[in-house]
Amino acid sequence: MPPRLRCAVPRGLGSAVSSSRTANRSAVLLLPSAPAAVAAPRQYATAAAKVSSFRLPADYVPPTKPPTARPSDTRKSQLLRTYTSLLRSTPLILIFQHNNLTAVEWAAVRRELRIALGNVSSEGTDSADVASRAQLQVIRTRIFDVALKIVEFHDPSKVAPTTTSALSGEKIQVVYDHDLSKAAYKAVQAATKGDAPLPESSAYGQISPLLVGPLAILTLPAVSPAHLAAALSVLSPSPPAFPAPSKKKNPGYHDLVAQSGFQKLMLVGGRIEDKVFDLEGVKWVGGIDGGLDALRAQLVYMLQSAGLGLTSALEGASKSLWLTMESRRSVLEEEQNGGKEGEKKEEGETKEESS
Amino acid sequence: MITRFITDVTTRFNPFSARARSARLFLSFLPPTARASGMSITTQLLPRGSTEASSLRIKFKDGKEMQLDCEAMGIKSIVEEVDRHSRMLQKEADLAAA
Repeated sequence: MPPRLRCAVPRGLGSAVSSSRTANRSAVLLLPSAPAAVAAPRQYATAAAKVSSFRLPADYVPPTKPPTARPSDTRKSQLLRTYTSLLRSTPLILIFQHNNLTAVEWAAVRRELRIALGNVSSEGTDSADVASRAQLQVIRTRIFDVALKIVEFHDPSKVAPTTTSALSGEKIQVVYDHDLSKAAYKAVQAATKGDAPLPESSAYGQISPLLVGPLAILTLPAVSPAHLAAALSVLSPSPPAFPAPSKKKNPGYHDLVAQSGFQKLMLVGGRIEDKVFDLEGVKWVGGIDGGLDALRAQLVYMLQSAGLGLTSALEGASKSLWLTMESRRSVLEEEQNGGKEGEKKEEGETKEESS
Repeated sequence: MITRFITDVTTRFNPFSARARSARLFLSFLPPTARASGMSITTQLLPRGSTEASSLRIKFKDGKEMQLDCEAMGIKSIVEEVDRHSRMLQKEADLAAA
């Protein structure tokens, strides 16, 4: 009887056993229950032969290496994964075209951006956190394009499970819904099949014309109009709403190198909360006073006043109904009373006549 | 692309239109020292809903102006067209220097 290997086999053993006969010796040494191994050297060979009969199931998939549609060990694939996770986690992305900035210009641009964002927020608050995590990075345009498609068209919750074998040979159901998976690839292919234009409602269809040429993105970890306004005033100043920092206040901004860097950056659009905005839209979001909290307060006020109106309107209807019913009742009562009096009079007259 | 003889580049495009591609790529072809060496580059971004055709206007040192049709031309043909004139200017400059 071959030695039983239950599911508690250490992971390293799997490969050692499956690989070939050369590994038999070490495999035998690793096996805990091998009385044959310590007995005669002759039984060594039989035990080893028995061990080599252990095979991994044909459809065994190591849990650390799920099947992928794209090669998982290339830089591009991993970059794609970073982009998809960035797109899923970042609510505010501004897209810039950068036209041949030199390294020193990039450094100057990032420095000025950091200063401007730092001025918005005070130390130790949430907004300081937003400022410190804002990032201006150059992206690979085509890979970013694919990442946008995956984020929009691939829904991990809809992927059907596949059946594979566990190490012990029993069948198990596993879902492979990661971004490099075949399911993701097929979902994207199905959505963008042919040359038919994507519907206007799809965010990818709106943003895809922007993804041309050398691009850089500014990512903010929260939709904070104050930070957005600061970033806009540095990166694409437009005087009335987002003026560039003054020369007196921030001489570094008017540095020759920094200025030539800013001239070469061009804001083409943005993606805020999965919606696509152009330059004007981004400025509009940046111009919201007091940030999201102010908007929420406005909404709450609006709902409250609407509720007040609603209750008074509802009340009014029942009130008016009550009033009409009441007046009708009084009218009826009056009529009834009047009629009775008339009858009584008539009765009296008849009595008088009869008597 | 020969950019030595270009003095002025003016572009107007709507980045949300697929036809702005060649104008945007042309801007990315200009060297990093373009502004420092006296080329004036003006870009105007049109709003998203605009249907105005994207335009690219180039002025050369000898005064020639080129109005290129970005809608129909790809970036390759634009570069070719610009280089056709620039090469002529370069030839003249080489002869003058010699």
